[in-house]
Amino acid sequence: MKKFKNKGKDSTARRRQRVEVSMELRKAKKDEQILKRRSISFSLVDESLSPEDKKEIIQLSLEEIVEAVNGSDRELQLQAVQDIRRMLSKQNDPPINQVIELGIIPRLVEFLGHDDDPFLQFEAAWALTNIASGTSDHTRAVVEAGAIPPFISLLSSPHMHISEQSVWALGNIAGDGPTYRDALINCSVIPPLLALVSPVTPVNNLLCLNSSSSLGVGFLRNITWTISNLCRNKNPYPPLDAVKKMLPVLLYLLENDDKDIISDSCWAFSYLTDSTNDRIQIVVDTGILPRLVELMGSPEMMIMTPALRAVGNIVTGTDEQTQAAIDAGVLAALPRLLRHPKQAIQKEAAWTLSNIAAGPSQQIQQLITCGLLPPLVELLDKGDFKAQKEAVWVVANLTTGGTVEQVVELVQSGVLKPLLNLLLVKDSKTLLIILDTITNLFKAAKKLGVTDRLCLLVEELGGLEKMEALLTHENNIVYEAALIIMEKYFCFE
Amino acid sequence: MELSDANLQTLTEYLKKTLDPDPAIRRPAEKFLESVEGSQNYPLLLLTLLEKSQENVIKVCASVTFKNYIKRNWRIVGILVEDEPNKICESDRVAIKANIVPLMLSSPEQIQKQLSDAISIIGREDFPQKWPDLLTEMVNRFRSGDFHVINGVLRTAHSLFKRYRHEFKSNELWSEIKLVLDAFALPLTNLFKATIELCSTHANDASALKVLFSSLILIAKLFYSLNFQDLPEFFEDNMETWMTNFHSLLTLDNKLLQTDDEEEAGLLELLKSQICDNAALYAQKYDEEFQPYLPRFVTAIWNLLVTTGQEVKYDLLVSNAIQFLASVCERPHYKHLFEDQNTLTSICEKVIVPNMEFRAADEEAFEDNSEEYIRRDLEGSDIDTRRRAACDLVRGLCKFFEGPVTGIFSGYVNSMLQEYAKNPSVNWKHKDAAIYLVTSLASKAQTQKHGITQANELVNLTEFFVNHIQPDLKSASVNEFPVLKADGIKYIMIFRNQVPKEQLLVSIPLLINHLQAESIVVHTYAAHALERLFTMKGTNNTTLITAAEIAPFVEVLLTNLFKALTLPGSSENEYIMKAIMRSFSLLQESIIPYIPSVITQLTQKLLAVSKNPSKPHFNHYMFESICLSIRITCKANPDAVGSFEEALFMVFTEILQNDVQEFIPYVFQVMSLLLEMHKNEIPSSYMALFPHLLQPVLWERTGNIPPLVRLLQAYLERGANTIASAAADKIPGLLGVFQKLIASKANDHQGFYLLNSIIEHMPPGSVDQYRKQIFILLFQRLQNSKTTKFIKSFLVFINLYCIKYGALALQEIFDSIQPKMFGMVLEKIIIPEIQKVSGQVEKKICAVGITKILTECPPMMDTEYTKLWTPLLQALIGLFELPEDDTIPDEEHFIDIEDTPGYQTAFSQLAFAGKKEHDPVGQMVNNPRIHLAQSLHKLSTACPGRVPSMLSTSLNAEALQYLQGYLQAASVTLL
Repeated sequence: MKKFKNKGKDSTARRRQRVEVSMELRKAKKDEQILKRRSISFSLVDESLSPEDKKEIIQLSLEEIVEAVNGSDRELQLQAVQDIRRMLSKQNDPPINQVIELGIIPRLVEFLGHDDDPFLQFEAAWALTNIASGTSDHTRAVVEAGAIPPFISLLSSPHMHISEQSVWALGNIAGDGPTYRDALINCSVIPPLLALVSPVTPVNNLLCLNSSSSLGVGFLRNITWTISNLCRNKNPYPPLDAVKKMLPVLLYLLENDDKDIISDSCWAFSYLTDSTNDRIQIVVDTGILPRLVELMGSPEMMIMTPALRAVGNIVTGTDEQTQAAIDAGVLAALPRLLRHPKQAIQKEAAWTLSNIAAGPSQQIQQLITCGLLPPLVELLDKGDFKAQKEAVWVVANLTTGGTVEQVVELVQSGVLKPLLNLLLVKDSKTLLIILDTITNLFKAAKKLGVTDRLCLLVEELGGLEKMEALLTHENNIVYEAALIIMEKYFCFE
Repeated sequence: MELSDANLQTLTEYLKKTLDPDPAIRRPAEKFLESVEGSQNYPLLLLTLLEKSQENVIKVCASVTFKNYIKRNWRIVGILVEDEPNKICESDRVAIKANIVPLMLSSPEQIQKQLSDAISIIGREDFPQKWPDLLTEMVNRFRSGDFHVINGVLRTAHSLFKRYRHEFKSNELWSEIKLVLDAFALPLTNLFKATIELCSTHANDASALKVLFSSLILIAKLFYSLNFQDLPEFFEDNMETWMTNFHSLLTLDNKLLQTDDEEEAGLLELLKSQICDNAALYAQKYDEEFQPYLPRFVTAIWNLLVTTGQEVKYDLLVSNAIQFLASVCERPHYKHLFEDQNTLTSICEKVIVPNMEFRAADEEAFEDNSEEYIRRDLEGSDIDTRRRAACDLVRGLCKFFEGPVTGIFSGYVNSMLQEYAKNPSVNWKHKDAAIYLVTSLASKAQTQKHGITQANELVNLTEFFVNHIQPDLKSASVNEFPVLKADGIKYIMIFRNQVPKEQLLVSIPLLINHLQAESIVVHTYAAHALERLFTMKGTNNTTLITAAEIAPFVEVLLTNLFKALTLPGSSENEYIMKAIMRSFSLLQESIIPYIPSVITQLTQKLLAVSKNPSKPHFNHYMFESICLSIRITCKANPDAVGSFEEALFMVFTEILQNDVQEFIPYVFQVMSLLLEMHKNEIPSSYMALFPHLLQPVLWERTGNIPPLVRLLQAYLERGANTIASAAADKIPGLLGVFQKLIASKANDHQGFYLLNSIIEHMPPGSVDQYRKQIFILLFQRLQNSKTTKFIKSFLVFINLYCIKYGALALQEIFDSIQPKMFGMVLEKIIIPEIQKVSGQVEKKICAVGITKILTECPPMMDTEYTKLWTPLLQALIGLFELPEDDTIPDEEHFIDIEDTPGYQTAFSQLAFAGKKEHDPVGQMVNNPRIHLAQSLHKLSTACPGRVPSMLSTSLNAEALQYLQGYLQAASVTLL
């Protein structure tokens, strides 16, 4: 027999994807993963492999540099490229534009092909990495000079530091956006990149190739970061077959014990899941959910943040996908995050919860059983505005999809007072959702024959006067929603 | 129209005429202007006039006319609306947009405001896509240095951007805001800084300062609009500039800007008030980013409060400032800013107590504007008052500091009461403040209906009541210290749930006595308090105060209530009328001895107010009181209905004849009530009115529809036979009403109520000839606009029809419209939609009707309809067992706002005119599940073997299980 559990919209329609409005007025988020990175320190690699650097450094003028780079003297070429690289590695305000204006990028790209001169190759790769780390225009200058194919070839360079530098450069190019990301994928960047870290080649083997073990970790970090950039961005999403190739490696990387590697792998999962349901399914099918949920409990912000994001994205999917996350224990991990001192985490956790609350009543029951209502009410009462907004969504979804008993439990947990207090917020959409929620509560009360008691409660908690105030709200839809409730439940005793 | 001098002259003359007080001159001129609105160049002629006319009055008139013209015509309604063509031609649009900004900026202020409004109307439609230059044009003017021009730009920008404060987030909106921010944010910031600098260079120039402060107010408003949706990157980066300057403006004072006016807020107050709003916005929405600035603002705003005077002009500023503190102090991470005992004491002493004082302005309102005073004091429409804000701050502080705050205030209350005791006639205001403080401190939750429902346990309310409230009310003179009397009565009202019942009973005669007070506030409060006390619930859903307990006071109560209506200023006092209604309702038969006098007074009142109905609530309660008089009396003595008709019909006739629109719906309801009281055939006096009720003009007004339908239902219930025999020619008119109602999405359920009454009560022969037509009408509506509400009503109707006329008749009438129609209705409507039917009676009707179709309709057993038999049975079992399907298709979301109407006319605006729920199948079927089992049993006896085989082939297992349960309960088996 037909059931009518999910009234109105089904859960898919109630789940809210990460981006409702692609337009942003805010500053870019501070907790995002870095898109592009510049290599600024004189790392060990540099010191150990370029003994010449230790000599007194003779700085060439810009004219001399251009001349040297375009000339045929290998010594001078190397020195010029080194000078450029040093300029670009300055801590502050690297002169990327100036270097581009010198018109020497095609030449630097050409040097990447000098397999006979690894020093020059390395210096050129480094310089180009730092140019590509700039704005989109800067990256374009590198790509349009034809740097992609030689960099991909250099992934397989016998010299580990050159291979690593190329990974870095390619990461910067991939981080620019979907166009260059796909350009790299079309140039077959993935097989040689993954070969560097293939699970059949344990990390130890990689390390053996190098004298220093810290280099190994650094290299693996770079690879992970570049892979994550290849998973990143939408419109379009990265090609499916590429994703399928990268997934096993990411699974493997997620088991590493270096926190940067775990963090970047988690970011990669968060990108892959910020997507359509069939793509979420591919990730869920790998069986990674328990690990991601475990990492949501990590004390490291850099790991917990992207793990939470990834899981949050997964529960925007189908009921089954959400169930998989519940089975992996997400509900046990959320209370702590809802109470996290960082507001951004509270907000993200509440968003995640709102999508679980959008599910069928069995999932709502699990949410209640796992004790999510008390932290939800706390957040609604005391959270920062962004988190409160998400918490309102949780409540709205619970009252839409929950059974009457579940709605009763919600009210008994004290949700009404903070919810009604929020009728003062300066955000029309949130007001409307609260009013919808109040309507849902009244529907449930009607079924139980306790409309009067709810009326009383709403008025006691100051909800009535706040709704009265909304009758002068400028937004017509908000005004009407308030009016309907007032007329229906409060007009006459 | 050409842009010629002749046309300008003509237009000038007509504009002049539109200002003429004589409608005979004014109206034709307005008509003429409307008739030329669609002509090309008309708006440009107006613009020319408002710029160049010699007469100022024509300039202003032209600007107003222009604004209204833009308001009516600029928006191009969707292409679909053919009767609203685009009245403004494209070239005029372009010309207007090209000229209006400079014109606005060069105009004097009066005209500037009109043009600024016009720009924002145009902007709402055209900005930004179709008016790309607007922003640059405006921003360029910032550099003019002419603050008359700059203020014009700012004002226009404010009217363009203020919608960002309330619109929903959307891609479109945000891209517009982004565009505005890119072009506007930096110049605005620079202008802000420059203006502030100019303020200090012109610190001694009053007229320059006024202009500059007007700019600052507008800039602060723009800041609010631009920052409302989200914190823009630009403003986050420039928070230091904005907040530092806002902060210093809050602390700024300049003698030159102080105004002498006590009422009207000056520029300084308006600016600071807006800054409080801006800070509150940031504190609420962008807490993380604003945190570093917040403590400074708390201190500044608090100092502002301590130094601001009691004058009315500061009210908005003070209440905004207090509200800011109230919202901040209850956030956990700012708790520390208030925690210190000295801070708390200082807030209580210097911010809260002074703002709770009864001011001269309050005293004035109490005496001269009591209606407004009552509204603010009693109904909580005091959102912007200082007292209210102070109360909110008390409640906010109590969230974390209830103990200390109560402690501080207890001391205050005691000292104020002591002051009062020393010399009551001089110091009565101290007691007022003390009572107010106790009230705000003690009340944690409050409702109109129940008063305070949760009180702070630290205040002993009964003690205070006995020691300080009752003595005032017991004093010999009801007119002494009216404010304290009102305070005392209000105290009873709001703490009625906390004060023990015996104390309330002691208070009742005191309250009745105060109905005689001269002060409007005092006798109104007394009436209101009595009404509230009479509404209190005791155990077992009875009233707390019983009729027996009031018995000794009935006479004096009724006398004083009606006498209070004769006191000056209270002739239409809704509180008194409501108290009358409530007293009737409580006292029931003990009022019968007084009814003759009461009904005379009520009809006189009715006659008087019907000349000019102005107090809707008063009128409503008056009609409720009339209904109660009728009910209570006729319950004891049904024959008394005649005397009511005698007393009321004359006034009713006058109301109907004079078409007193406000009262007509009430009259119909009272008439319904009276008619339903009759036990025998309908009296001829009602039948004489019947044809008038069918007049289309009555049905034009939506407010008439529910009570009229109700009244016609009463006619059908009592007089169906009389109508069939004596007024058969009116049946088409009756059906005409049905047809009109059914065509409307809003009123179709009313049409069904009427139709159902016709089917239920009219002798079948009298409607035979119309039946097919009725079904055809319903099908047309189904085809044209099918809504969930319509389907639900339709289902109830066809099942009622089936019950009344038989299942076979139902099948035949469908199939007579179109062959196989019955099957289609079953398959497409009944089976899939039956789960949506709501309401006990409605569900029962459907259950019985469907049972009949299943068991008493031969074609269901032996034609192609047979395949629908099992699905129909399954649907019926679903109706019994599954939760109601209250889903509504998305596109209907906004239509169905009036909820699911009941089978009965849900319109019960007069609560005491309502009738009992009517169940047309009540006697016939008691338990529809058992009825189904029995009917199936009967059917299976008639054709053994068929029913079990149909069940076993396709009935869902779960449904079968339920069915077996019904059969068991009915103790029958299927053969």
